Amino acid sequence: MNIKKDIVMRLRFVFLLILLFAGGIIWRIVQLQNIEGEKWRKASSLRYVSERTIEAVRGNIYADDGSLLATSLPKYRLGFDPLVSLSDKNRRIFDDGIEELCKKLSNFYGDKDWKDYYSMINLARHEKDRYILLNNSLIDFQDVKMMKKWPIFKEGKYKGGVVFEKVNVRYNPFGKMGFRTIGYKKDKEKVGIENSFDSQLAGVPGKGIFEKIGQGSFRPIDGGEEAIPIPGLDIHTTINVNIQDVAESSLLRALKRSGADKGCVVVMEVATGEIKAMTNLTRMRDTSNYAETYNHAVLGLTDPGSVFKLASMVALMEEWNLSNEELVETGDGKMKIGDKILEDSKTTGYGTITAQSVFEHSSNVGTAKLMLKYFGKGNEKKYYKKLHDFHLDQRLNFQLRPDAIPRISPPKKGDITGLPWNSIGYGMLLTPLQMLTFYNAIANDGKWIQPIIVKETRVADKVEDDFKLKQEVDENPICSEETLKKVRKMLEGVVERGTASNIKNDLYKIAGKTGTSQKLINGKYRKGMYYTSFIGYFPADAPKYSCVVAIDNPRGVKKEALFASDASAPVFKEIADKIYACDIQMHKLLAKDANGGVKLTSQKQIAHTSDIKAINEEFGIERKPSNEGWSVMQAENGKVHYEEHSNPKNKVPDLRGMSLRDALYVLENKGFKVSYSGFGKVKSQSIPPGVFAAKNRTIGLVLN
Amino acid sequence: MARQEKISKNLDWITVLLFIVCVIVGWFNIYAAIYNPENPLWIGDPGFFETNAGKQLIWIGTTVLLIIAILVIDYRFYDTFAFIIYGFFMFMLVAVLLVGTEVKGSHSWFRIGGFQLQPAEFAKMATALALAKYISTPMVNLARFKDQFTVSLIILVPPILILASHETGVALVFASFMILLYREGLPGVYPAVFLATIILFVLSLIYEEWQIYIGLAVLAGIIILIMPRYERKTKNIITILGIAFVMGLFVTGVDWAINNVLQQHQRNRIKVLIDPDFDRKKTGYNVRQAKIAIGSGGLLGKGYLQGTQTKFDFVPEQSTDFIFCTVGEEEGFLGSLLVVGLFLGLLLRVAYLADQQKSRFARVYGYGVVSILFFHFMVNIGMTIGLMPVIGIPLPFFSYGGSSLWSFSILLFIFLKIDAHRTQVLSRW
Repeated sequence: MNIKKDIVMRLRFVFLLILLFAGGIIWRIVQLQNIEGEKWRKASSLRYVSERTIEAVRGNIYADDGSLLATSLPKYRLGFDPLVSLSDKNRRIFDDGIEELCKKLSNFYGDKDWKDYYSMINLARHEKDRYILLNNSLIDFQDVKMMKKWPIFKEGKYKGGVVFEKVNVRYNPFGKMGFRTIGYKKDKEKVGIENSFDSQLAGVPGKGIFEKIGQGSFRPIDGGEEAIPIPGLDIHTTINVNIQDVAESSLLRALKRSGADKGCVVVMEVATGEIKAMTNLTRMRDTSNYAETYNHAVLGLTDPGSVFKLASMVALMEEWNLSNEELVETGDGKMKIGDKILEDSKTTGYGTITAQSVFEHSSNVGTAKLMLKYFGKGNEKKYYKKLHDFHLDQRLNFQLRPDAIPRISPPKKGDITGLPWNSIGYGMLLTPLQMLTFYNAIANDGKWIQPIIVKETRVADKVEDDFKLKQEVDENPICSEETLKKVRKMLEGVVERGTASNIKNDLYKIAGKTGTSQKLINGKYRKGMYYTSFIGYFPADAPKYSCVVAIDNPRGVKKEALFASDASAPVFKEIADKIYACDIQMHKLLAKDANGGVKLTSQKQIAHTSDIKAINEEFGIERKPSNEGWSVMQAENGKVHYEEHSNPKNKVPDLRGMSLRDALYVLENKGFKVSYSGFGKVKSQSIPPGVFAAKNRTIGLVLN
Repeated sequence: MARQEKISKNLDWITVLLFIVCVIVGWFNIYAAIYNPENPLWIGDPGFFETNAGKQLIWIGTTVLLIIAILVIDYRFYDTFAFIIYGFFMFMLVAVLLVGTEVKGSHSWFRIGGFQLQPAEFAKMATALALAKYISTPMVNLARFKDQFTVSLIILVPPILILASHETGVALVFASFMILLYREGLPGVYPAVFLATIILFVLSLIYEEWQIYIGLAVLAGIIILIMPRYERKTKNIITILGIAFVMGLFVTGVDWAINNVLQQHQRNRIKVLIDPDFDRKKTGYNVRQAKIAIGSGGLLGKGYLQGTQTKFDFVPEQSTDFIFCTVGEEEGFLGSLLVVGLFLGLLLRVAYLADQQKSRFARVYGYGVVSILFFHFMVNIGMTIGLMPVIGIPLPFFSYGGSSLWSFSILLFIFLKIDAHRTQVLSRW
């Protein structure tokens, strides 16, 4: 009985143990799933499978001719899931290929020995890491395609464990060109078009279920897209890559030459207000290098200086019908107003001169006297009303944010210095772009037009938003035609005879105004530190482009170099020259205006027949060369003659009248080497035409 | 034919049914565990039979053949040849050390073609047979030291060999025979000491040594104080204090053993149990992933093949040791309950059958089956839900693996075969 009792007791005990443990397990599951359920569910979704936003493809930024200024390129980072290689099945794949793979990796990246890759991967396998980054550098799709053929990698994600992590990288095909204007997004720093049009460029991100595959990297689960991302809009700007390039390189050269603190150039198309180039360069602290770090053109509020005299003149002409010929007594170039002395830059003074001359020589005293004469006696308000009509005291609502607010305010009662100083561009704050907009209105027959840098946004080829439709235009001209005539004469006179006569040229006319203002530092105007600018338009007869060049604090050796005429105006000229040289339309326009037809040069020209045909087509010249190959073209008495260009074997051909490109082509095809100097067309050649010359001989060319 | 009819008549179909359900449910979970939504493979697809689910299907097919063989062999075979079978597998355990293949750090596999067999899995069955054989010998009494010694020898040889091949998990299974021995009359003090050892071991991991000393002293004091006055004799008090002192020594020993005997990864596995946040990325990773999988399943689960943790292999060894995660995540609480219920049913049914045996051999063997299955069930599910340290042993009939499926099926069906003939056996007890 006792034994039986004992056995039954033990049996019960065993059963109890089993039940107890089963109960324990069930309790634990209840605990995991219900009591702690929320926590684990969260962990499940948060840590490993999570809803993540799917980045939308950022829109592109285009130049006016459709060239890409900024685009997003997919780049990849190479990662590896060591766990995949640990399963029995994949182990062989891994063992067979790892050495060759590591050698390929080492070869490709060239950063470490293949053995380092080998031990890195093996360590990760040993530690059973889920993910390692094999290399941090970004590779492009071509590389990815190539790597997919490598051992182990060719087995793909699930057998080979290779992970290509996609990263979208912003790429500017023109490099640093227009860097600040096009802008960038770096961490929290957002500037330029990339910033101002961020919402359009960004698109609408989608949402999808992603699964974590490693530290900070996720892969989408198929069919897990809850909302497909909408790609960003493409931004079509008004920027012209050629003009931008010219503006940038000219400004950079000038800045380097003068060692100035900073400078900016804006080129605007007169009729449309489209900004063709906008460049801003700032000297990097303690170096002679310049970079686009701040948009002075849009944000740089400063005393505009003498360029503002244009506004005063227009106001005088509009309100008081000032004549260009009105005489002004400037005396010895000094004028005491209240407790302040106004000076002209010419220390001896200009004496009695016409208003035209006052403007041409930028006489401060002359301008102030005219102003005081007309607007002085209680008529101040009329002047500021005019400035308001010229839109000078209003913000531009320019597309690039933020928008600078100009500060022009009528002097307080009793302040007799306010008006004269304002009239010559002191005691106010304006940006170069605001000043340019005013000059552009003068060039545009008095029609004020808002500057614009983004023409439209598009989805593929469909225009989404046309900003030209929203462009602000003042229906009323800012001045009468008569005023226009008078004031344009003044602007042309500046280049013809005045402060900017150094940029006068025969080919086309420039109209503009120099400005040299003393820099306001700690509330005081400092002599020796100047802010120089030149604003104008060209060709003056039929204005096509307006342009502002501002250079801040140039450090010249000569005193004159400090002034606008030497600092800013030549940059203007350089830009204008190049635009003029490249702009066929402008030539046509001018030529027609001048002679009512095409003006032919009597110089001999040699060019390829197909080029001549193309040029003739463009200019409407009917006579065309009949031969093939190269042709010699010469005009006589308004008629063009063609003859075949002789190019005998082993002999040096006649190169005079050829462009450098053509000459290089011809000579190098014949095996000669070329050195050259100057630019333009070939003027003379070191070995005369028709002479035998050995291959590899160097032929020197002088271009003109 | 007559015998066949008899077998089908006498076979315990309830157990067979539970077995079949386990295997089928198990297979579907293996399929879910290896399921790749980007490349779902089903029977017939090329490459299917290279997946764990495909291979398991082959194993299941061969298991059916094995079962038929077991049922055909004379039931007296197992009784008669128990020691020989035991000897054979001991030999295999030695052989595998010499000629075996290494898989995941353990040198315990025979590779035959594309398949691998682990003799350690079969050693459990062989030991159960040998134990049953020895204990059923007339005059053996587990209360006697000599018999205790022999029995412990039978039990301890295989795990020692298995430990030599670095299969700690399988070796630990042999501790489960304590249940069998207890049922067969081993004095209660053994399991008591055994349990106390485990408890002290765990406590010494959680608390500082001095804390446990104080605890033991306080406990001894309380026991002495609440003892009935007539029991409070000097001898008893000295015994209690002696036990407390021995326990204290043991704790010191455990501390020493943890730091000097256990390997780092084994220490970590135990630490993870106590501190779930310990070493989340490495040692804690499995358990945490398993908990996430099960915990996120909720009442009804995420649905078959819908488990996110499961699908993307967050839980390592998911088709083998961590198969229960798949159940927990995809089938939720109800599914888990069903699986636990299934095992509980199987265990209790086998225990019940074992108790019905007239032959002591059959009964002891039956308890051997119960012990082994229970230990696996307890430890495997226990580790996936964070009740037990991670010990790499499979969930019977569920986990992927030919050796484990074969060995558990053989284990179970030998018992069912013997059971089917219980009316023919005269009680030898």
